[in-house]
Amino acid sequence: MTTQTPDVFQVVADPSRRQMLMLLSKESMTINALAENFDMSRPAVSKHIKIMYNAGFISITDIGRERHCTLKQDGFNQLQDFIDYFDKFWETKLKKLAAVMNKRSSTNRK
Amino acid sequence: MQKEIRQTWFFHQSPEEVWDYLTKPELLALWLMKTDFQPVVGHKFRFVCSVINDCEVLEVNPYKKLSYSWRTNSVSTGKPFDSKVVWTLTQKGDGTELQLVHDGFTALEDVTGHDEGWTRCGNRLAQLSSPVKQ
Repeated sequence: MTTQTPDVFQVVADPSRRQMLMLLSKESMTINALAENFDMSRPAVSKHIKIMYNAGFISITDIGRERHCTLKQDGFNQLQDFIDYFDKFWETKLKKLAAVMNKRSSTNRK
Repeated sequence: MQKEIRQTWFFHQSPEEVWDYLTKPELLALWLMKTDFQPVVGHKFRFVCSVINDCEVLEVNPYKKLSYSWRTNSVSTGKPFDSKVVWTLTQKGDGTELQLVHDGFTALEDVTGHDEGWTRCGNRLAQLSSPVKQ
């Protein structure tokens, strides 16, 4: 397994962050508006935002005094890469299985 | 929206022989990973390579179906995420059709299971299916 894969999973492993991403999938929101949907302190919301920002799931734009959050593709692409990785992993392994079995079968037939 | 890995392969060996390769640790080590697998429901085991995958047997239907949970730990943080692997064996002629489904990536469920609003970011996620290999 490659080392860059699971970090994006840490982002979406948290239910609150998943919910934030879902809310942002409908429309971009300010951090304050986002915080109103959650029973947690504003600093706690900001911490989640920062984690999602660092992982490339959202971008933040300052408009006036407000900070607007918008979904960003990068983090999701990494999730896609992870699935692709596992798909290739199994393909490689199953090819090997076929090779191993065929070798054994032909050996047995001798 | 699909979020699973699905592959179908044909082998010239019988379902019994393919089953052995899915369930016997010494044979699994030849093509997959080192493991202490046993075909017993509830048995907890590991697949070990560069990372450790903690697994538990969920279903054993000899020569037909085998499934186990698959928990991979993050290399960087050590935190786990869960998924599920299901093998289905079907006799076809003088060989075996083997289907693999790897899904249930729990961390993805909410994010990808949401049908609305993913016009910007959802397009890539919508492609989480894989071509069938024969």
